[in-house]
Amino acid sequence: MSKTSTLFIGLDGCTYTVLDHLTAEQPGVGVVMPFMKQLMEGGTRAKLRSTPNPLTPPAWTTMQTGRGPGVHGVFDFIRSEDHGGEVYWTLYDSRDIDAETIWQIASRQGKKVACLNFPLTAPPPENINGCSVPGFIPAKHMRRNTHPRELFERMKQDIPGFDPKELAWDFESEKQAMESLDEDATENWVRYHLPREEQWYRVADYVLRNEQPDLLAVMFDGVDKIQHQAWEFLDPALLSETPTPWQQRMRDVCVEYFRKLDGFIQSLVETAGPEARVFFCSDHGFTAQFDQLRINTYLGDLGYLKWAEDDGSEQAKRREASDFANLDWDQTLAYCRTPSSNGIHIRVAEKEGDPGIQPEEYETFRDKLIEDLKALKNPEGEPMIIDVLKREDWFPGPYMKHAADLTLVLHDHGFVSIRHREPAVVKRDRPAGTHHPDGILMAYGKGIAAKGMTPRRKIADVPSMLLHSMGLPVPEDLEGKVPKPFYDREWLSTNPIVVGAATVAAAGQRDIEEMDESEKQQIIEQLQMLGYME
Amino acid sequence: MTTTSNASIPPEAILQRLKDVLEDFIEDWDIELEEEIGRDTLLLADLEFESIDIIQLVVAIEETFGKRKLPFEQVLMKDGRYVDDLSVGAIADFLHGQFS
Repeated sequence: MSKTSTLFIGLDGCTYTVLDHLTAEQPGVGVVMPFMKQLMEGGTRAKLRSTPNPLTPPAWTTMQTGRGPGVHGVFDFIRSEDHGGEVYWTLYDSRDIDAETIWQIASRQGKKVACLNFPLTAPPPENINGCSVPGFIPAKHMRRNTHPRELFERMKQDIPGFDPKELAWDFESEKQAMESLDEDATENWVRYHLPREEQWYRVADYVLRNEQPDLLAVMFDGVDKIQHQAWEFLDPALLSETPTPWQQRMRDVCVEYFRKLDGFIQSLVETAGPEARVFFCSDHGFTAQFDQLRINTYLGDLGYLKWAEDDGSEQAKRREASDFANLDWDQTLAYCRTPSSNGIHIRVAEKEGDPGIQPEEYETFRDKLIEDLKALKNPEGEPMIIDVLKREDWFPGPYMKHAADLTLVLHDHGFVSIRHREPAVVKRDRPAGTHHPDGILMAYGKGIAAKGMTPRRKIADVPSMLLHSMGLPVPEDLEGKVPKPFYDREWLSTNPIVVGAATVAAAGQRDIEEMDESEKQQIIEQLQMLGYME
Repeated sequence: MTTTSNASIPPEAILQRLKDVLEDFIEDWDIELEEEIGRDTLLLADLEFESIDIIQLVVAIEETFGKRKLPFEQVLMKDGRYVDDLSVGAIADFLHGQFS
């Protein structure tokens, strides 16, 4: 019998819009995900509210720590460092998580864990009792970042067809997630994820059988990537009644992906055995984005920023082709730095003569900016921005000042563009998939009630549930709770929720200094030159 | 990852440790080196580095030398731009400057 009491399956970007559709009978196709249908009928589920900006790095970090971004310190894919006046950009990594993770909390209490394909798990987190195979990392670096190292060699020897190139992120391919692709490229994009998920399934199956950890956690991220490019073939509200041959092929390959995923899940749950509890969550949900907001264009129209002069140079052309704002920093007071942030940074002068507003003007300036942002309308005359989040309200904690001053919630939950194009708001040619703040939370297995849908939970609840499932106390400083409606009353009476001592400080600590504006400009230029982001 | 005190590490030891890191990097990269890694070895031209590999190298060096937030922009950037390529010797000299 398996020693694994807790199986956790992360489904990046998974939403009930698709799950409900694919677990129901479809004409000519049948039930695409029959095993998930069985789990949904025999378990308990809820919508799961993501972090304020529902984005992979901060959301999965909250899932791993039970703390919000203002506490764990991860806000986006990229971060910058100030080294004696020079700004140097890099990616967030595991050392940036300034909170104890569930892997570490369980390990120091003697539990064996396995975390597979989670972001921000490279370099391997310290003090892990068990194993870690990182996600979101290129194949060339997977061996060095697998813990323990010998596991990688064992997987190469023991897993039939093990291929790090299929398993890992191909950064050139991943950049396509947010790009407009032609028909063939879109189809290839979906097909690219079929072998990847099979590789991760094989790794999870191997670790489950051979390591038998108390907690096995694996994340399938193809759900998110496919939905970005193929949302119109998954959302039942958008399916064409008379599909073109290409549309039918797209629908077919999407169905193939989810049917295979269902099989992988079934195999893992059956291997874990009837004594285990299985939990599912996504870092955010998904929905359709119909409008495109070029936020810096709008801010420029209102005089909050000024674009740099185009000198016709090769560098200027490259910048125009990229998505990084080329601004006149002496005349810019507020701007958006990255599309994934949906954030507006307000420039505050630190000393006399610096560009930016004076510190005492901040509240008045910000209130006016919020008013202007909320006044923007889409082509139908509806408000384009339905909410503007102030960082002190939504990102409390020691890292609050690293959040954007304002985070935008668009009417269709879309991500902004920061390209220098007119007009500020346009209709997209095709609806694109984008992140919705409500993802999924599901549980099934020993001790789990069969209650169906229950009230919405929050993503910080997930690590509390996993710790409790392993028979561990829930640290008192975690922000989430164990939701009692998910459990059989009798099982819960013999497996009570125990609140225990607070987490211990994370090993990694940061001391990123506040940047001045020339340094911010450098970051944008560096990102553009490397062509790393959208 | 092995980390040790760097208070008095001599330059040849820094170079050796850097070579160890790079040899570990390229162990399974399927590249054929005409000669072993040395001061004149170039990351992009000889070791087929891409930008993401440089990010990973910085992380690996920080882990190996047990110190975060080393000012790598001093060797990676010149006049506000990323350099076209970088030699092993230049990185070793930079590290020596940090630990001398």
